[in-house]
Amino acid sequence: MTHQPLAVRGETGTPGFSLPGVRLAGVVSAVPSRKLVNDDFVARFGADAVRDVTKMVGVETRYWVPPGQTTSDLCHAAAERLLAKLDWSADTIDVLIFVSQTPDQRLPATACVLHARLGLARHCQAFDVGLGCSGYVYGLWLASTLINAGCSRVLLLAGETSSRLLDPDDRGTALLFGDAGTATAITADPDAPASIFVLGTDGGGAANLIVPAGGFRIPAPDARRATGFDPEHLYMDGGEVFTFTLRAVPKLVADALAHAGCGVADIDAFVLHQANRFMLNHIVKKIGARPDQAPINIDRFGNTSSATLPLVLSTDLATRLTAGPARLALVGFGVGYSWGAAVIETCGLGCAEILYL
Amino acid sequence: MDAFYIGLAEIFEVDVAEIGPDFDLPSHNWDSLAVVSVIALGDECFQKLFDGAALAKCKTVADIELLMSRAEAA
Repeated sequence: MTHQPLAVRGETGTPGFSLPGVRLAGVVSAVPSRKLVNDDFVARFGADAVRDVTKMVGVETRYWVPPGQTTSDLCHAAAERLLAKLDWSADTIDVLIFVSQTPDQRLPATACVLHARLGLARHCQAFDVGLGCSGYVYGLWLASTLINAGCSRVLLLAGETSSRLLDPDDRGTALLFGDAGTATAITADPDAPASIFVLGTDGGGAANLIVPAGGFRIPAPDARRATGFDPEHLYMDGGEVFTFTLRAVPKLVADALAHAGCGVADIDAFVLHQANRFMLNHIVKKIGARPDQAPINIDRFGNTSSATLPLVLSTDLATRLTAGPARLALVGFGVGYSWGAAVIETCGLGCAEILYL
Repeated sequence: MDAFYIGLAEIFEVDVAEIGPDFDLPSHNWDSLAVVSVIALGDECFQKLFDGAALAKCKTVADIELLMSRAEAA
């Protein structure tokens, strides 16, 4: 038996992976009912600070979970809707992947809990992936590799309730993040064109976007005094993360396009992680894309971490993707640092919509 | 340098004539938003990437210019 290598080194030496026979069947997003507008933050930060932050990050509204609602609740609602719309029966799902940094509990994996709630079959694999901004691309990559290994249908659930991690007094993050859960259906299809993946990591940036507490390495007792931040809350060094993004993302996009054998103009839509509007505008310019090639919806939903890409697919691009074929470049980057890009060709999604729970 | 000073004036919401090597950053809302804006400006004007942590420690425009002369190409 001969081994067919999946990875090909590009001109820059970055490996790219080509996976055939995988088709995106549909995507549904769900956001919680609690909608916050910027005026809701004026009492805490003052009108001037809210205006300054908004000018930069570009978030006008975001949705936050009420107490008791979790990422898995949002993903569950999205998944039920998706399976019903596609007429996929629960026993046809071979894999459930839950991508999130806000699981329901430390153990078991939230994917197992969702497996039961969705009534999936005993043969179905279910596991969690603890990535954020890059997580959706990693989820697509895992789904595509598992389909190439013989699985037929994969349910990719990606979401975050970052609102639960925010320091309410940190204006840099309090106004930026939103909550969302998403479900994506991925299926084997021998006629589907190959998807291209480029992935990478720089763990040297781990401390620049982090919630130190909650795991098993206990933060030092004086951690708060030393850093000025409560280790239970999200810490973000905006400058460092932005520098990383400028260094990594244009190269990531160039590598992915080179492996896909296409140029910027050949991409119907660049679906970029909705990190921050200022950063997005800058990246779009740097990669040489037209603004109309890169939909931005951070104004309506905030930065929803692993949910930003499916949220764009199921809102701004929904009509386009359900009407006919499209070539997409999906680009995730951030916490880790971790990044990934996928160039995929869709051929008319069976479903692309958003639920307001 | 003109485009860089014009950009700095926009970021700090002052007249461009006020921008010079001695321009004092801490007294002009030199926060993380301003740091991120200056990183983008350096990339646009000079195709150079600042170290975010070092940039945040700058006290004057002269400090920024010195840092930029040592910054890596974007």
